[in-house]
Amino acid sequence: MSNLMRLPGARLVAHAAFFLAIFLVLMWFMGGADPLTMSNVALAAMYATAMFGMVILVGLSGQVSLGNGALMAVGAYTFALVSMNWATVPIIGVAMNGWWAMGFALVGGIVFGLVIGGLGARLKGPYLAGLTLGIAVGIPAIANRFPDLFGGETGLLLTVPYPEGGYLPEPEEGFEEIPVDEATAGTETGTETLPTEGEGADETLAPEDLLTVEDLGGDAAASDAASPEVLPTEGEGADESLAPEDLLTVDDLAADGSAIDASPTDVPSADVPVDVPADIPVDTLPPSTDMNDPGFLIEYWQVSLALIVACFVGFVALNLVRGRQGIVWRAVRDDPVAAAVSGISPAWAKVSAFMISSVFAALAGGVFAQLLSYVGPGAFPLGLSLSLLVGVVLGGRSSLLGAVIGALIIVWLPNVVRDLSDGRGWDEQVTNNMPNLLYGLLVVLVVLVAPGGIVGSIMAGVAKLRRTRREVEPPAAAIPPAPAEGHTRR
Amino acid sequence: MTNFIEYLLGGLGSGAIIALMALALVLTWRATRVVNFAQIGQAMFTTFIALTVQEISGSWFVALVAAIAAGALLGVVVQYLVLRPVKRSDTSGAIIATFGVLIALQAAAGMIWGGEQEAYPQPFNTAGISAFGREWPISVYDLVVIGVTIGLVVGLSLLFTRTNLGLSMRATAFNPEVARLSGIRVSRTLTIGWAIAGVVGAVAGVLVAPISTLSPNSFDILLVFAFTAAVIGGLDSLVGAVALGVGTGLVISLVTGYSDSSNAPVVALVLLALNLLLKPDGVFGHTSSRSV
Repeated sequence: MSNLMRLPGARLVAHAAFFLAIFLVLMWFMGGADPLTMSNVALAAMYATAMFGMVILVGLSGQVSLGNGALMAVGAYTFALVSMNWATVPIIGVAMNGWWAMGFALVGGIVFGLVIGGLGARLKGPYLAGLTLGIAVGIPAIANRFPDLFGGETGLLLTVPYPEGGYLPEPEEGFEEIPVDEATAGTETGTETLPTEGEGADETLAPEDLLTVEDLGGDAAASDAASPEVLPTEGEGADESLAPEDLLTVDDLAADGSAIDASPTDVPSADVPVDVPADIPVDTLPPSTDMNDPGFLIEYWQVSLALIVACFVGFVALNLVRGRQGIVWRAVRDDPVAAAVSGISPAWAKVSAFMISSVFAALAGGVFAQLLSYVGPGAFPLGLSLSLLVGVVLGGRSSLLGAVIGALIIVWLPNVVRDLSDGRGWDEQVTNNMPNLLYGLLVVLVVLVAPGGIVGSIMAGVAKLRRTRREVEPPAAAIPPAPAEGHTRR
Repeated sequence: MTNFIEYLLGGLGSGAIIALMALALVLTWRATRVVNFAQIGQAMFTTFIALTVQEISGSWFVALVAAIAAGALLGVVVQYLVLRPVKRSDTSGAIIATFGVLIALQAAAGMIWGGEQEAYPQPFNTAGISAFGREWPISVYDLVVIGVTIGLVVGLSLLFTRTNLGLSMRATAFNPEVARLSGIRVSRTLTIGWAIAGVVGAVAGVLVAPISTLSPNSFDILLVFAFTAAVIGGLDSLVGAVALGVGTGLVISLVTGYSDSSNAPVVALVLLALNLLLKPDGVFGHTSSRSV
């Protein structure tokens, strides 16, 4: 454990500066982006957070796990339960806010990571994959087993602790008729209103509160559940501008038609103190020049949150990968016996990789809960775990940059497919399943042709180019090239 | 006590289906040392083909035959195109590739047949048999399922112990290098192993569809149960897969009967975790040396 973060100070500072710069640049871009791009970036950042853990687990320590979707559920449920049930942080006594709840999600990730990783460290390849597959499939069963605690199939609608002042849903085409007092009502409570059958509730249901189908990582089951007839239709015209098939209400996530009837009774808004202090320093928010004065765009808040967490996790991950622990993980992956002879404990190396990836997944889950303001078994299907694996494999199994590319692919490929299918008369079931078909085929192709994924292939190409250039130039002038990623371990 | 016996009887049919699926997993494991997580996708896909054939021909048996043919073909295609070219050094690659096939097959099925739950026609009476003055929790259909399973197991054990093909398959599973030196065409034997596994999985799919529903994802849970049974049975042992498959079916039936069907996956997970902790090589497996 001691060498989990051991790195020369200068490199720590350089890594920190690198991620701070990335964060600032992205936030600067987000300042001028439209809400849809913001929520896509927020989702991609959330996926990247989880996939950094997959890189460490699958790429560096060589354990194929499908449990990270389930571990995201652990983080999300921990976040929801803690922020709903505890007004103050135990022992310390500070008022509960989003960051404290994220801290508890982190602890949940550590605990579950140690338990499952401890089981998994004894297992080789297929056994671990099968065990974690069972965990991923079993999540709904566990949520249903304790319906009082976890809300069963319906899940939990949580009150996202938005910063003081609340948010202002940005009017879009078709939404101009939103009365100002409706918007300010949301501003006063600082809570997100739940879509109910009532008249007023539907009007506050801004489009950004709704999930599009691809938000769930292109999971086929989720898109099947998105039957248009359960969309709220009682509203006076809030949903007229929205294509029903593109939208998935919170209720649909429960994959259960009864959700719409049951959910309003589960709303814990009464228990949550209204005066939750702002959990994000106001000075990280942009000057509200283009927005009405007190509020800010909810997507902007979401993308800030997701990017803060993703950059922090990326910073930790980069230190681990480039530090001593990364060498330990690679050594155990490539030759456990030789690693053990060198004084490394293979079991602990595997458990620690699992625990780290579990913590990252749990943090991503906490972000996911806040993006959806909902936690339920339908949000964490097997498809989520699979898409984490797909993204990491496509981007590059042992590269953090690959995880970022994988996250972008996972979020944007469904959009690209939908844009392609528009006007070509593709059947809806073809369009909905095309992303998954492409993921599956691409994963097979990458494993067969380019096991390093996109990043690995590019790096191999660059290394080859360098080699050929060195052969052409006189060898005396050539600087010895930095060893390629895979060869630094010995 | 009567409840207990009823639950046990009621679990026999589903246990037989889990046993078949576990058998398919064991067959691919023995052939190529790969747990084929796409097996359930192949079974789902061939069952959809069977449903289409059934709607055209109207005959359950023709549909079953079509599923068997498609299962063998799909097994060969997946092994030949996907698993055979995976580099041997890439240990995670084979597992990831099977998941890729699973994702692609489920998406393809969703594209062709849609994502809705389809009802598969029930060829035999699925109501409980009335005999000796009471109704028993076992149906004619369960008996057919059990009969088909027993037939397949007997046929496979004859194949493995009485034929040249079976001998070369066992030799290949035991040591591919030595088998190749003895003149066995190893890669062809492996492909045949996958074809047989595809057939067994296809039969399991056609048998389970009438008593559940058919959709691209509806067999996922069966994969978890079958994997549990196959691993506890030792992954290497056909007898173990069948015995533990039936056993898993009985346990699930008991759990469902005494509590709730939503507990079944949790119980399967607990069983799997306990087994992996206490006896990682399975009940019927041969203890192999572990390096670290």
